[in-house]
Amino acid sequence: MDSKGIESDLIAYLYGELEGKEKESFEQYLLDNPEAREELEKFKQLRSVMGNVKDKEVIAPPIFVGDHHQRFWNAPYFKTVVSIAASLLVIMLVGKFIGMKVKYSDNQLSMSFGSIVEPYIEARQTIPALTSAQVQEMINTSLNQNNIAMQASWSETQEKLDASVKSNLALNSAKIDNLVRESSAASQEQIQQFVSGLQTENMQLVKNYFQLTSNEQKQYIESLLVDFAKYLQQQRNDDLQVVQTKLNSLEQNTDVFKQETEQILTSIISTVGNKKSLGTRN
Amino acid sequence: MGDTLLDIAMMHADNLIARAKEGDQHAQGKVVQLWYKRIYNFCYKFFLDHDLAMEVSQKTFISMCKNLPALQDNARFKSWLYKIAVNYCREEVRRRKGTRSVSFEAVWSRDVEDSPKWESTSHKMDNPERQLQQRELSDVLQGALLELNNEQREVVIMKEYEGLKFREIAEVLNISENTVKSRMYYGLDGLRKILERKKITKETIGYGF
Repeated sequence: MDSKGIESDLIAYLYGELEGKEKESFEQYLLDNPEAREELEKFKQLRSVMGNVKDKEVIAPPIFVGDHHQRFWNAPYFKTVVSIAASLLVIMLVGKFIGMKVKYSDNQLSMSFGSIVEPYIEARQTIPALTSAQVQEMINTSLNQNNIAMQASWSETQEKLDASVKSNLALNSAKIDNLVRESSAASQEQIQQFVSGLQTENMQLVKNYFQLTSNEQKQYIESLLVDFAKYLQQQRNDDLQVVQTKLNSLEQNTDVFKQETEQILTSIISTVGNKKSLGTRN
Repeated sequence: MGDTLLDIAMMHADNLIARAKEGDQHAQGKVVQLWYKRIYNFCYKFFLDHDLAMEVSQKTFISMCKNLPALQDNARFKSWLYKIAVNYCREEVRRRKGTRSVSFEAVWSRDVEDSPKWESTSHKMDNPERQLQQRELSDVLQGALLELNNEQREVVIMKEYEGLKFREIAEVLNISENTVKSRMYYGLDGLRKILERKKITKETIGYGF
């Protein structure tokens, strides 16, 4: 048996919590070990001394916990809710008495005492950059200007058109008037003649116009082609001239070169001849 | 201990605890009345201070009433209750360590005051004097108890004065039974040495048990 086991058995035996076999074996152990007996005796004496400590008399104070109603009022969430509500009420009352006004507009929270001060708002309005409304306004004005200009040109063309239409109408109506007057007198053949005449006239007019325009276009394209051909001719001529001059200068160069070589040859021949003559003289 | 047999019987009545658990305020009040003295005396011996003991006891019973429905096994009510008390005692000790306050009892040198008187009157058997002596002896012994460390003091009080079984103490403190016995052994050993130093033995007290 180790010392720890003995200690715990001793303590358990001391308080009578050792039973059965364990108790018997421990009692045997006590018989065999006088020191253990002595220790047990000391502990017993200590217990009897410590037994002199008496309980203090005390009266239990009343403890109330289970009161559900009480609990409800003391519940933390209830307290917080009530306190928040109360403080809000106080703020509102104070605000009412001192005439405080809180206003939220244009992403701005403004607080004031008494009536809301207007100059401040005016000053504020000069500061801000372009608002979307202003930008819209600018776009609108430019669009309007464009519209007006367009309108003006439109109305101009409209007027012109109107004028020509009116003149045509006047002309035609005059003719029709005549026709009507004639038709009152003339037969349907005449009307047909007139109509066919009118048609042929119109056709002639359109043909003429087409011919005229096609002629003009032809002329223009022809002139363009001619100009282009001329330009090409000129270019070729220029190139040819350049080549010619180059060839000429080359020819000249070769001529000069020939002359020079001839001169050199003659001079060599002459010197050789002289030497020979000198040699023969010597 | 001053409790009537009826009270002791009542203390362990499952019926009462079961009713208290169900929220019967009358039963709860009865439980508090039955157990208050025990818990108070445990706390008093732990702190040797009436006010602290009252405070911790009240906390213990408030907690008991609140948490009683969570108690699963009625048979374990006793160890459960002591567990609450021990936890509050420890909390108090921690708090007092933090605030570094010194109780009046600690400043008041009880030994110097008491021991000469105590020795001079050792063998007198007069009744009023003996009562006084008894009270003084009780105080001295509790002073000795206070010199033990907290762990040993808890175990010694629960075993010696509250009569809990080692198994119950182990349950209260959440430690093994052998550890409880070991603490008890060293606690008693320590007490013996303290009393020897104070020259208090069975013989000097003068009356045997």
